[in-house]
Amino acid sequence: MEVVLEPFGDAAWRVRLPEQGNRRALLDSLRGLPQVLDAVVCERHAVVTFEPAAPPSEASVREAVASALTAPEQGSAPSMHRIPVRYDGADLDDLARTVALSRDDVISLHAAPVYVVAAMGFLPGFGYLRGLDARLVVPRRASPRQHVPPLSVAIAGPYTGVYPFSSPGGWHLLGTAVGFSPFDALRGATLALGDRVRFVPESP
Amino acid sequence: MSGLVVVRVAGLATVQDRGRPGRMHEGVPVGGALVPELLARANAAVDNAWDEAAIEVLGSIAVAAAGPLFVGNDAGDVCVLSDGETWSVDCQGARVRYLAVRGGIDVPRVLGGRGTLLSAGLGGHEGRPLRRGDSLAAGSGPPVQTEAPLTLDPLAPLRVVPGPDLDRVGPDVLERLVSSQLTVDPRSDRAGVRLAGPPLGRPLADTGVSAPMVRGAIQLPPDGVPIVLGPDHPTTGGYPVIGTVVRADHGRLAALRVGARVRLVAVGGQFSAAATPGR
Repeated sequence: MEVVLEPFGDAAWRVRLPEQGNRRALLDSLRGLPQVLDAVVCERHAVVTFEPAAPPSEASVREAVASALTAPEQGSAPSMHRIPVRYDGADLDDLARTVALSRDDVISLHAAPVYVVAAMGFLPGFGYLRGLDARLVVPRRASPRQHVPPLSVAIAGPYTGVYPFSSPGGWHLLGTAVGFSPFDALRGATLALGDRVRFVPESP
Repeated sequence: MSGLVVVRVAGLATVQDRGRPGRMHEGVPVGGALVPELLARANAAVDNAWDEAAIEVLGSIAVAAAGPLFVGNDAGDVCVLSDGETWSVDCQGARVRYLAVRGGIDVPRVLGGRGTLLSAGLGGHEGRPLRRGDSLAAGSGPPVQTEAPLTLDPLAPLRVVPGPDLDRVGPDVLERLVSSQLTVDPRSDRAGVRLAGPPLGRPLADTGVSAPMVRGAIQLPPDGVPIVLGPDHPTTGGYPVIGTVVRADHGRLAALRVGARVRLVAVGGQFSAAATPGR
């Protein structure tokens, strides 16, 4: 496969990724390359950063991309996270009306899938989780909130996720994660690219 | 053990160092000083390695010594304070200044760095801006002789590598970026510098998918007012990136005052890290 390295300033390259391929294996191998300071893999792009005076070899990055994306059995084993949720989000009723379902249906549809961490980003410890039921796919809120409470469980577009910290945000708030710590100052992020997530409704 | 007590703060004062690379895949931006060259100058004044933790000031700060304390700033001023004596750093005309102490500000190293990441309440002094009454200890590492980097030239244009998302904006957006009268918008912060001026155009289409971001990336949001990502930028974003300021010019951009003219010039290829301190 042809791998094109796009210049992203003078201290990073970006690679457009094909739809298929093991993102977690790709992240592992890019992070392990000499001279690479940071590697981030999202759904359509990967980026590596480096010192402008000491870039990694272009061939090594191309080879890492090509081999990780064609050898799906590689990579570290993903973890499974069960996250208890109190479905008390401020947007739950509005969302139920928008998608013409009952509040209980929204909750059970949201809690049914096993989600996959498709990308990490936005805030420390925030995972973009893929696997949302098509009936719950709605655009972001027309006007973002200035302060989304920490541990809010929210949806927007094809994604769901848990806000690790209070921040501005335009996602629809469905509930609150209970006993889950998305980010820890000593260990870093709890979720990792490719991990699996289930939301478990807390009984009221 | 010596240290300092914050007597007065106006604006934003945080502990910052060189940042914490290597955690971007967890959503943690690299962070680090807004202007690494000025951090390096303040540290050089007190015989520290260039990247020791110091106090980054947007506004002004006054500190009192707790025990004897050797302090310095990014202008090269130094002072040996005795217990209880005060010293201050005031931005006056500058956007950002640094107050360093011999041995560095001794806050715990968190995920590889001592700097403050406000969005996550992480690092620095309790993960937050400094307040009156805060007590900070000074480190005790051996003195290091370092060269203070050259003065920043506020007039030289900032170099921008075009792309990588020019296919997602109108054909003349890059030309408008480098030819428009752009200034630093007051809403700028450690996450990014907004460039006030005529709107450059709208993104052609929203892909709805986030991509990795880096410091220096110039994002074009739907309102057409570009944002240059700063040290505490979100690690992913969905707006098209029309160009990226080269590494050696990040500090010069961050040093520009609110309202200052931002001159950009498109370049290609790789640039030396000559203006980056410590190398």
